Amino acid sequence: MSTERDQRLADTFVSLADTLVADFDVLDFLSLLTERATELLQVDAAGVILSDQRGGWWPAAGSSEHAELVEVFAVQTRQGPCLDCVRTGAVVSSADLDADVDRWPLFARAAVGAGFRAATAVPMRLRAEVVGALTLLHTQPVAVDDASIALGQALADIATIGILQQRAVHREEIVFEQLQAALHHRTVVEQAKGVLAESGGLDMNQAYTLLRDYARAHGRRLTDVAHEVATGVVDLISWNADARRP
Amino acid sequence: MGQSRRDRLREQLIVDRAKSPASTVALVCARCVAELSVTGAGATVIGKHGQGEPGDKTPERGLVHATNPVSASLEGLQLTVGEGPCLDTFESGGPVLVADLAADGARWPAFTPGALALGAVAVFSFPLQIGVVRLGSLDLYRDVPGPLSRSEVTDALILADMATQGIVADLDGHDTADLSWLLDPHVEVHQAAGMVQVQLGVSTETALLRMRGHAFTHDVPLAEVARQVVARTLRLTEDEGRQ
Repeated sequence: MSTERDQRLADTFVSLADTLVADFDVLDFLSLLTERATELLQVDAAGVILSDQRGGWWPAAGSSEHAELVEVFAVQTRQGPCLDCVRTGAVVSSADLDADVDRWPLFARAAVGAGFRAATAVPMRLRAEVVGALTLLHTQPVAVDDASIALGQALADIATIGILQQRAVHREEIVFEQLQAALHHRTVVEQAKGVLAESGGLDMNQAYTLLRDYARAHGRRLTDVAHEVATGVVDLISWNADARRP
Repeated sequence: MGQSRRDRLREQLIVDRAKSPASTVALVCARCVAELSVTGAGATVIGKHGQGEPGDKTPERGLVHATNPVSASLEGLQLTVGEGPCLDTFESGGPVLVADLAADGARWPAFTPGALALGAVAVFSFPLQIGVVRLGSLDLYRDVPGPLSRSEVTDALILADMATQGIVADLDGHDTADLSWLLDPHVEVHQAAGMVQVQLGVSTETALLRMRGHAFTHDVPLAEVARQVVARTLRLTEDEGRQ
């Protein structure tokens, strides 16, 4: 592993640890984690899906919120390396999605259509249970090396710890409470994106970026800002216009 | 696991509805007691929090359903003391699962003694909400301590989904089997609700009901209406979707 990568790795762990303060926002944390995963592992996109505890899987965070990528993350909750990964608890890879169209017709077509050629899914494990997965996408048909998979697993483990750390981890119920809360917050963020997209004439990725930038600029939780946007308490469009005024 | 449980519980609820004229929420409460190791179940369908748009025909809210007097008293107790699992469940957005109330006495200094006096030793609350649209909570209790098992939590979450769907159906009178919007990992329906609320100048809740109205009137799945709204090929107008 290169020195430069070591340095980036150290920086990532420090910044992730920095977000793990009391009352932190799981969605902020997962979105930062996916952004950093793309840099560290030199992949083109990364996403996290979580269990809904009813037998289903939902996209929780992605390195960007471009519509094509969001669609790939939605499809992978139905089919693909990600779903195989959460079902088996093992790392599942495809170094060439074009060649795996028979294996995952729905997912491979969606991913290739969005410009991706390789995918790896790493499980988020809590004891015997798989609570989610970290997916890594490449725009080139390349096999992920063992060192990157090990690093991806470390990031997935941090994601699991991050979801569960808020309260006493010895309580078995915490996993149910936290996973449901994270998925609920995701719904609030989507409603807020809709409000911003319509009132500001933005696409969904721009709407998400505005939400995230405002939260970070004000040291607020993404979830709280999203709630205020969706209930009309705060007007980010005016803030955006003011912030960009020279 | 989840799909077969969901199918089984849905079929069971259809049987329940054929036998009883009670509301979906009341039937879900009864089904919780039948399926889970709980003594009683209650639900509060909370009062309207939205802006109260003119002409908005909101049915009566603040309804409490309970399978026994203790559950009814627990619902009342939380409203009286202003704290408890049902209020926390809105705050966190996830369920609040307390296997032994007495062991966690500091969490709700006013609610816990009252609940224990009523005979509730373990409490489990599940939010009935769709993002910022808060509809109510499903509150279960047991007279002996102990957690819900993993499969019981799964069943309770599925039953809470059905109660949520039932409340929304009661609100707009469209009792459709279209669950695409609750169970679809495509998130357009929530994005679309946010867009429509701006277009019509209404709350998220009303926007969701208008989209359901449009879907019902045009006989298309709500998920499809949402896709068109997000793609900006469909704009709901002031009159459209209002029933």
